[in-house]
Amino acid sequence: MNGIATELIRIVVGLVAVAAFVGLNGLVLVYAERKGAGHFQRRPGPFEVGPHGVIQPIADALKLIGKQLFTPDNADPYLFWLAPLLSFFPVLLMFVPLPFGPVLTVWEVDLGLLLILAFAGFNVLALLLAGWASNNKYGLLGAGRAVAQSVAYEIPLLLAVLAIAFQTGSLNLSTIVTQQGSWPWQWNIVTQPLAFIIYLVSALGETNRAPFDLPEAESELTAGFHTEYSGMGFGMFFLAEYANMIVVCGVCTALFLGGWKGPGVDGFWWYLVKVYALLGAMIWFRWTYPRIRFDQLLNINWKWLLPLATLNLLGTAFLMKVF
Amino acid sequence: MRNEKLDLVTGDFYTQNFQKGARENTLILNLGPQHPSTHGVLRVLLELDGEYVLRAEPVLGYLHRMHEKMAEVKTLVQYMPNMGRVDYGHPLAWNWAFAGAAERLGGIEVPERAEFIRVISTELNRITSHLLWWGAYILDLGAFTPIMYAFDDRERLLDMLQILTGSRLTYSSFRIGGVCADINDKFIELCKDFIPYMRSRLPMYKALVTDNIILRKRVEEIGVFDQDMIRRYGATGPVARGSGIDYDVRRAEPYSVYDRFDWQVPVYQKGDAMARYLVRLDEIEQSMRIVEQALAQLPEGKIIVDKAPKYTWKAPKGEACFPVEGGRGLIAVHVISDGGKTPYKIKLRAPGFSNLSLFAEASRGTLLADSVAILGSLDLIIPEIDR
Amino acid sequence: MMETVFDQLSTQCVAKCDYAKTGLHWSVFLPASEIVRAAKLLYKEECFLEDITAIDVKEGYLVVYRFNHMDRPCRVALRVLVPHAAPKLPSISHVFHGAEWHERETHDFYGIEFSDNPNLVPLLLPADLDVHPLQKEEGARASLADLLTPCEVLRAEPGFDLLTPKAEEEGKKAKTAGAEATGA
Repeated sequence: MNGIATELIRIVVGLVAVAAFVGLNGLVLVYAERKGAGHFQRRPGPFEVGPHGVIQPIADALKLIGKQLFTPDNADPYLFWLAPLLSFFPVLLMFVPLPFGPVLTVWEVDLGLLLILAFAGFNVLALLLAGWASNNKYGLLGAGRAVAQSVAYEIPLLLAVLAIAFQTGSLNLSTIVTQQGSWPWQWNIVTQPLAFIIYLVSALGETNRAPFDLPEAESELTAGFHTEYSGMGFGMFFLAEYANMIVVCGVCTALFLGGWKGPGVDGFWWYLVKVYALLGAMIWFRWTYPRIRFDQLLNINWKWLLPLATLNLLGTAFLMKVF
Repeated sequence: MRNEKLDLVTGDFYTQNFQKGARENTLILNLGPQHPSTHGVLRVLLELDGEYVLRAEPVLGYLHRMHEKMAEVKTLVQYMPNMGRVDYGHPLAWNWAFAGAAERLGGIEVPERAEFIRVISTELNRITSHLLWWGAYILDLGAFTPIMYAFDDRERLLDMLQILTGSRLTYSSFRIGGVCADINDKFIELCKDFIPYMRSRLPMYKALVTDNIILRKRVEEIGVFDQDMIRRYGATGPVARGSGIDYDVRRAEPYSVYDRFDWQVPVYQKGDAMARYLVRLDEIEQSMRIVEQALAQLPEGKIIVDKAPKYTWKAPKGEACFPVEGGRGLIAVHVISDGGKTPYKIKLRAPGFSNLSLFAEASRGTLLADSVAILGSLDLIIPEIDR
Repeated sequence: MMETVFDQLSTQCVAKCDYAKTGLHWSVFLPASEIVRAAKLLYKEECFLEDITAIDVKEGYLVVYRFNHMDRPCRVALRVLVPHAAPKLPSISHVFHGAEWHERETHDFYGIEFSDNPNLVPLLLPADLDVHPLQKEEGARASLADLLTPCEVLRAEPGFDLLTPKAEEEGKKAKTAGAEATGA
């Protein structure tokens, strides 16, 4: 009884901490994105609100919270407002198995990877509901694209992750981290470079980030699946996208880049440094490259990523059997 | 009448007209008139089968200001500012077409220095027009950064043009008989700084943007126009030169002092959106060459003819036009006068109008993303199309 | 080269214009029935359509089609006079597809009907507008002879020689004669 109680308290505290972390990171990422965008475009970015614009994200958040929640005419109100919630809340659960530090895991789930991949599927449903329930043709087109893209890119993601799981023999993220060494040449990226690249590309596709951001392709579809959302509805999608990015970068760090292990002293600081480095790279991609066309996106997935990921997996399995 | 399908309420006159030819199970979508693809107020009705465009019909008139009627109630000298508003991309070319037509009617000869100033300001304006197009086109394709770089370059050009014309965007600095302001040392200094600076930027744009594989896959082999199609629609300018037709009004019907400079007309054969893209980027370089040479050969003299027409000037009877190569193609303003205070009729021939008319045929069977790419490659400025 | 094209049509007037003064090379008057044939011949010559417009004059609407050539620049203005009471013309949009929009615009501004234009709905003006803005009032219309620049007429039917300098002279004489008559 006592054991269950402590476990329960630990999970509740962990979830609250995760919620706080996600909220705080939402602010940090919004600021980083806008400042990054600014400097890549040779302009300063947010500057007015607070010194160097540091209070800008809070101003954004207040603006979004303060807006009128508007349901379009003839839209299905239940599905319409379910979609942002469905987009955001499962992401919080995806933080549970992430190993932030040697003991800083909300709960060491033996099937951690499986849990993350399973809950990632909720996002597809949320986008589809958003586009359908908006009663808007742009939303519908965006939702259709989002479903095809997300479903397609889950598969190479899974296969790349499976290659690591084969190699390590476990789906538990903490185990995978502890099995890697402290120095960069001891990380999994050295043994599985192809899987790393496939994972990164699929991650960009899963989170709808540029250059794969067709479901919200601004110049073609106005705003794609979230055309009709304003205020907090849009804010939830926005937060969910950033939270997804953090999860995906967190998993990448744990699987390929040694997690919380690093040269010198191991600890949660290394984890955060690596996650933020990957996030910075994702932001950099967004502001540099144009958008890929939809059929080219699916082509990349089905003709390149999937066969390469499969070959990688088979190769890993073969090598594990032989050695 | 409530439709059971997605369009619960039938649309306006044009949507209903368009829907008459609709097939089964297709989606009728309005691209615009409010649309982020920064072309202006253009509305395109699309019939989509999934992502494929079955039919497209541009609907115009959202920016129609009836310039041709305004011409009939204003005197010729009073009409010049209208020419600055017809096309905000390359207004000096429109200025020139109109001033040239009025000068042909009145038999007025423009002094040589004024001709050189006209060439310099029009070519600099052409560079701003192409930079604006380039930034907006890449923005359409999803990259948010190049437009910022393009506008950075444009700022320098706008500073220069402000010295010459007094405005930053809608210039009406040409006068019937010359130009309104002279080149001074500050202008020459800015120009001499700008040309090497721009020449150092163009390779960066090429390496970062033009050679980028994602862009090339979006733009190559999209929207191929063959020469017959160009002729059937009367498309001119980079749209024609991207399809292998070597037609530039500055060479075909030479005007002013262009024949004194050594410059090329870029022509690409493939006819796809990439060819039109490359034509415009090459034209930036060629315009800079012309400006360099014009500054070197600038003669002394007056900038406007003596006894230049004042606002009460009446043109003699007759008709005249003065074709000019604008950033988008052949611009011609036909002025027909009966000797009265105001012209009898003015016809504005806008190149964008003819260029856009081939979109309906060109976008049939393409993907939605490709049709947006084709629309961008036509370099449309809607005020010029709607007038 | 263009002369061979004009020889194949039954024209009302063929005139070679002064390019330096007007910007046109040729000015040809045609009856409405010949315009489609003319368009087809010019299409075979690889000309392109610059624009279509109209002028509201005393004698009717003068619909002007301007063609040009991309390799051998040569601006040809085909002019068709249609009466005010029945402004109808066949459409050339089956030959030059770009003409569809030009004809729609001319219809918007002047009310000229182009039969078998595939989509003769308003292009620039609102769909429910029932005025044609560029039509002129009765008193404000000028005569064609007062508008067009005289040029070298190669051949002209009677009534269409208004582009000859001779016509201008006669016009002036008629005016002065009229003035004398009223003065006296």
